Amino acid sequence: MKIKSLLIANRGEIAVRINETARKMKIKTFGIKTSKEPNALYLRLVDDVIDFSESLDEIPEFLDVERIIGAARSNKIDAIHPGYGFLAENPYFARRCEEENIIFIGPSASAIYMMGNKTIAKQIAQKYKVPLLQGSQGTVRNVREAAEIASGIGYPVILKAAAGGGGRGMRIVEKASHLEKMFKMATNEAEKAFKDPSLFIEKYVRNPRHIEFQVVGDRHGNYVHLGERECSIQRKHQKLIEESPSVALDENLRQEMGQAAVRIARAVNYYSAGTVEFLLDADRRFFFMEMNTRIQVEHPVTEMVSGVDLIALQIRTAEGQKLPFRQDEIKLTGWAIECRINAEDVQAGFSPNLGIIEKVSYPKGKNIRVDTGITDYSVITSYFDSMIAKLIVHADDREKAIAAASAALRKFWVRGIKTTIPFCQAVMNNKKFRKGDFNTSFIEKEMTKLFYNDEEDEMLAAYVAAFDFAAELETNRTTRPDFERGKNISPWVLNRRLKSL
Amino acid sequence: MLTRKKKKNEHEYIAVTPDDNKYVILDPFSEEMRINGHRREIKIFENEEGFTFLEYGNKKYLAEITDKNQNKYTVLLNGVSYSFIIESPISYRRRKYLEKFRHDSKLEVVTAPMPGKIVELLVEESSSVKEGDSILILEAMKMQNEIITQVAGKIKKINVKAGDTVTKDDVLLEILK
Repeated sequence: MKIKSLLIANRGEIAVRINETARKMKIKTFGIKTSKEPNALYLRLVDDVIDFSESLDEIPEFLDVERIIGAARSNKIDAIHPGYGFLAENPYFARRCEEENIIFIGPSASAIYMMGNKTIAKQIAQKYKVPLLQGSQGTVRNVREAAEIASGIGYPVILKAAAGGGGRGMRIVEKASHLEKMFKMATNEAEKAFKDPSLFIEKYVRNPRHIEFQVVGDRHGNYVHLGERECSIQRKHQKLIEESPSVALDENLRQEMGQAAVRIARAVNYYSAGTVEFLLDADRRFFFMEMNTRIQVEHPVTEMVSGVDLIALQIRTAEGQKLPFRQDEIKLTGWAIECRINAEDVQAGFSPNLGIIEKVSYPKGKNIRVDTGITDYSVITSYFDSMIAKLIVHADDREKAIAAASAALRKFWVRGIKTTIPFCQAVMNNKKFRKGDFNTSFIEKEMTKLFYNDEEDEMLAAYVAAFDFAAELETNRTTRPDFERGKNISPWVLNRRLKSL
Repeated sequence: MLTRKKKKNEHEYIAVTPDDNKYVILDPFSEEMRINGHRREIKIFENEEGFTFLEYGNKKYLAEITDKNQNKYTVLLNGVSYSFIIESPISYRRRKYLEKFRHDSKLEVVTAPMPGKIVELLVEESSSVKEGDSILILEAMKMQNEIITQVAGKIKKINVKAGDTVTKDDVLLEILK
């Protein structure tokens, strides 16, 4: 069935991204307006807005299954795209869409369920001979059971929420004496985040690389992988920089891992786009971690090197169309890097930097792409995650891609809040990162300074402060640059400025 | 663009960082401007979008004053914050003199490093802690963060309870060293 209208059940940059492709495909798009973000950018770009401003119940808007289904039905919308997060990996939501004859843009409810349940996912991986880490068979009931398993496989171990994702409900336990505290914290966090406190336990690989494979499938039994993404630059399990391809893989390993990813997809009749995550240890052995049954934040790096529009592919496979290519027709060219620009203060432990974006300007260029959900005067609230934009560059090789990313970061200007730009710049300028010598402990172990600046930057900043201070003191000066854009003007300065007009 | 005038009397400003780095800026508006005795050619300009930049040594720097309170400044340069107190030579000497009489406080005030919600308190009033102990769990952006004490001592006062929402820099508790 051809999709003519689409409800985007998400916000931010991914709502903008989905909208862009859908409109190109001549699909009428609907966005959801919430009282938390009534002036969000995506609402200006969609064809039609469905108003969820009035709060009906306690459930957050983008998690309210029946309200979203109801809105799709009453507006006679053909399909729903869940984006990432929220309802994207909720098998119940996918099933409800099916029941109501709404096309869910994603895999089947059963594929989501099987891959979302880590115990089942591991059993499938085992059955299809995809390497796994030692660990518990299923979830662990209590600390005592966890202790038994942990001493069996040896410390360090990692505790993970069975329903988890995105690093939440995850704790590394270095030795037996830490187990009880960590077990409690992980249970708490899992309960909060997923309403399911169950954990499982597995061997913890020190300093692995995080390598994931993009797979796509259709409803006709065709499966193709689009190569890997290297996502080892992480802080507290949150990815900050991603690239494709990875320096750690050669063509043999790429084919071996890609085929393993495809076996997982085939095992659950996976249609749509999905991601199979692996850990790669120092001896280049890989282990299955999990499969994410959704579009990923970092999908643009794959799009850049493969030339495939993954959102379009999701829509087409949801319509029942076949994949437009075979594995041997996939050609990956060049190197792509993505920097996540978050509203966070790197100098204050990456704490969220809420506020108003007073002004933003993006770098421009042929091989530069910026995916963003914000614009001038956008408000960054604590209701949603802190990512405001993704900067993606594409070049012939890794060295050129790093140089392009570094140059583009210097032309990415934001006023009003602090962002992770100086962090991303520090990574691009790090010698070990440039050499490709890094793993998931890179930030912790290799980055002595989490932001980039030159030796003379403090002096230049001192000049700005002294200049402004001096300008206020000197009564006869009327022309000076307005560093503060009208903020923080003391009454006597304002008075003097008005008089001088 | 701003115009620069030559002044007959030199004006001296001292920018001091929290680490006590000192920048002596002589005649900031003049062509002869000097920082710590060296001539520096720094241009300030605004682009058509309204961003302010410094130009120095063929490089462009995005600049913004993000906080200002009398002579206390926070400047954001290429996204990185720098704090200064601007002094005149006289006020600088006075401050140095007064600093000699200040001594270390016995009280450590623990503040929230980020906005969030208190999940659990791991200490009680009058309990003893040692350096590196976890004192409470703060949930921010759906991540649970352990707040750790940097000092050893006795908990004097707790200002929050489980379930409280706090903003950045709220005082969570006080520890008597």
